[in-house]
Amino acid sequence: MMNAAIQTNFARLQIVKQKVLAALRKGENYELKTELNSEYKERRKEAVRRVIANMTVGKDVSGLFTDVLKNMHTDDLEIKKLIYLYLINYAKTQPDLVILAVNTFVKDAEDTNPLIRALAIRTMGCLHVQEVLDHLTDPLRKCLKDPSPYVRKTAVMCVAKVYNLSPAVAEENGFVEDVRKALSDANPMVISNAVTVLTEINEIAPGQNVWRLDKSSVPVLLVAINECVEWGQIAILEALADYTPQGEKEAESICERLLPRLQHANGSVVLTTVRLLLKYEKYVHRADLLSQFTKKMVPPLITLLSSEPEIQYVALRNINIILQRHPKMLSKEIRVFFCKYNDPIYVKYEKLDVLVRICSERNTEPLLNELKEYAREVDVDFVHRAIQAIGRLAIRYESSAEKAVKLLIELLQLKVNNVVQDVVVVLRDVFRRYPQRFADVVPTLCEHIDFVNEPDAKAALIWILGEYSEHISNISSLMGASLESFLEEEDEGVQLALVNSAVKFFLKNPKQGQALVLKALQTATEKCANPDVRDRAYIYWRLLSADPNAARSVALVEMPPVELESASLSPALLEELITELGSVASVLQKPARLFVYKKADKAGVPRDTDMESAAGAESGDSNVGVSGGGIDTSNEGEPELLISF
Amino acid sequence: ENFTTVYQLLSEMVDSGSAVTTDTSVLRGLVPVPSLVDRVIENVSGIGIRSEKRPDVNTSSTPWRSQGIRHANNEFFVDIVERIDAIVGADGSVVSYDVSGDISCKSRLTGMPELLLVLNRAEAMDDVAFHPCVRANKWQAERVIGFVPPDGQFKLASFHVATDAAPRLLPLHLHATVSRQQDQSHIIEIAADAGQSGKRPVEKIQVRVPLPAQAYNIRVQCKAGTHTVSNVRSPQVEWSLKSLGPTERGARLTIQYLVRASSATAASAPQVLSPSPGSNQSALAAFVDFEVAGYSVSSIKVDSLKMLVESYKLFKGVRYVTKAGSFQLRF
Repeated sequence: MMNAAIQTNFARLQIVKQKVLAALRKGENYELKTELNSEYKERRKEAVRRVIANMTVGKDVSGLFTDVLKNMHTDDLEIKKLIYLYLINYAKTQPDLVILAVNTFVKDAEDTNPLIRALAIRTMGCLHVQEVLDHLTDPLRKCLKDPSPYVRKTAVMCVAKVYNLSPAVAEENGFVEDVRKALSDANPMVISNAVTVLTEINEIAPGQNVWRLDKSSVPVLLVAINECVEWGQIAILEALADYTPQGEKEAESICERLLPRLQHANGSVVLTTVRLLLKYEKYVHRADLLSQFTKKMVPPLITLLSSEPEIQYVALRNINIILQRHPKMLSKEIRVFFCKYNDPIYVKYEKLDVLVRICSERNTEPLLNELKEYAREVDVDFVHRAIQAIGRLAIRYESSAEKAVKLLIELLQLKVNNVVQDVVVVLRDVFRRYPQRFADVVPTLCEHIDFVNEPDAKAALIWILGEYSEHISNISSLMGASLESFLEEEDEGVQLALVNSAVKFFLKNPKQGQALVLKALQTATEKCANPDVRDRAYIYWRLLSADPNAARSVALVEMPPVELESASLSPALLEELITELGSVASVLQKPARLFVYKKADKAGVPRDTDMESAAGAESGDSNVGVSGGGIDTSNEGEPELLISF
Repeated sequence: ENFTTVYQLLSEMVDSGSAVTTDTSVLRGLVPVPSLVDRVIENVSGIGIRSEKRPDVNTSSTPWRSQGIRHANNEFFVDIVERIDAIVGADGSVVSYDVSGDISCKSRLTGMPELLLVLNRAEAMDDVAFHPCVRANKWQAERVIGFVPPDGQFKLASFHVATDAAPRLLPLHLHATVSRQQDQSHIIEIAADAGQSGKRPVEKIQVRVPLPAQAYNIRVQCKAGTHTVSNVRSPQVEWSLKSLGPTERGARLTIQYLVRASSATAASAPQVLSPSPGSNQSALAAFVDFEVAGYSVSSIKVDSLKMLVESYKLFKGVRYVTKAGSFQLRF
């Protein structure tokens, strides 16, 4: 009885609490409402500011829509902008009320101040409300021919938004045609915006072939690019990169005109120019020009590496791709890629990868010294990669093998746990590549056998014991010791290695090895849980009992040489990534179509798009924007959406 | 507090996801800059001064410079700042060496002047990036910098010195020795001598030695300069020298510390390792900062600065500084 009473009281308390809170909230909104309708301009201004501040932190102020609207006819530019921002935010939830605002927009679009005209057009475009669209067409048409270039450039961008909402309206009213005409505008900003818009429209409607860059527009773009802002330059560069030049002469002249772009401070401009040059390589046949282009690409890429770590990372990932097309391009600049102690770890990983790729026979010595320094660092994964890199170099360049082995032994003697494991594994690969060449090193290796405790390393060490058994004095005791722990040894690789090595040892040295091999095979066949190991042991046993010579030819045969090359991309993937160099796709090393989704097919069918990752060297930040209206509508139903410009 | 300005800036900079304008001088013309004076006046008198001004839109061919600028004294200052990025080994050998630099300017000029800056060794720069105001064709053709300067402070160019254009000069020579005592303490000794600095003193020298996290009982001694030991996230020692004259030698820093064997290494190694848990426990590098005023390590200097179009007398000034960029001494 008591419980029920408590429950109902509790429930009542909850309801009261909700009401109080609602009243409080209503109180704040109510307060704002009165302020918005106050007769003092200053208080109305302050109220609008507070409304926007609330909106920014996520509070719901949609109930104040009509009151905010009343304040729209203000001379104060700042307040106008704020109110427009509010409208954009809540337009989707209150489309009918937005219609009330349309009159003000249309009036503003004819204002004497070009800033206000542009603001009106821009905001109307962002509203994404179908009904507004019909009212929008007239002002937009006028603004596309506006005397002020600022207004024209904003109007051009608006066409993209209109197209996004309704391609039919855009075509009917000739907007797309107007944008095409804007390509020959007097002001370069307008031209570059027109290029951006047309590229976007191409992506929204891929089948329709709305616009193809043709030969006549190319010279105009080439002239405009020098006067554009960096973002406009990127748009034009991308459009040119997609263009197919008509003939070798044209390709050559375009490339030469664009070479100065490599000297721009903005990293994205540099990378997009590189993209263009790499794409046009197949149209240019003069070898001297091609080598000139490749040479000119090098200094700007190196300069990108002296920027902030984020930009360094993007540059390095792109350089990785470029190197797969031109492996020898950076061989002289190896020192630039040396890792600094305080580089962030992701930059160090990439630098290490590039270092191994660009190393040539001459640089192995300094690089090996560097790698030894890296192997002394704290980060375990980095040390692992550095030691692997030493191994790769040793295998790739025979002349460096001796120095590499010497370094590896020096590292071994530091007796640091993770270093020891990595060194043993790498030594096994080096020994395999150069059989019997470094046998003198094996005794030193065996001195450190106690430090080897990881399964991969143990398996490697046991393989070495088997291969070089004749060089090791206390081989039987060492092998015996390993056999003791055979059954506790969980790892299959180690067990197999033990069986193999025992057999090899016996075959090389029957007297000493007899007891050992017998014990190994017995344990393996009778007590081991792993069927693979058991089978292997059975086969060996039968071979040994039946025909030791046959066993010799099986167990002691020379293994095929091992290659440890850097991971490379398949040629088709490489081609695709080169066309997307300088965008997020090249950083992820996955083509854009795999991770960008068109908003219409939410079923998850990806589409071809470039996601721009603009790396501005001046600002030092990374902005990601999706071209094609993806971001605007994907936030439906999220009241914490703050900005949708 | 300034969120309205932020919103306005964002709306000018980005339009539906594509970046439009990020040039600061253009943005300054479009969005009113919040200032304390404006705010005070607004609060006191209740009148928004800012609301009266209608910002003008500047889409002329020189968007970075508006018309009608006037100054009483016409002056133009050029600062060439060069940075040395280097990795130096413990024995003083240079592992890697790179010089890059910036040319910054401060312009207080009337009207719309056209300037021509000629450098003595333009070919030593293998990668140059210019402010948009520079005429790229002039540079391509004659290797001179022709430009209409923006008003105020701006970065004219940033460049990279070609690796074979200049010998590897180090204004500061550093050596380090690392050793271990009988009682398992680590000792690091760093010696700093003046190197090639064009007979100028090397100033504001700061050597920062981060120590491994398990270091304790840190004792520092220095001959010349001051030292501090701090322990913000991990222990580190900072050594500062106000200046080192061109012929001074003998500045030394000695650090002695012990390292606690960390529990992590003890757990993963069931066998008994030798008492020294390996070099991963010792300090590996020191970071160095310094400045040499009046010296240009790549010897790139301004040959001349001419002005065209305008006809007033111009006061010019040039300064050179060589700084340490990412300068690392490796033990």
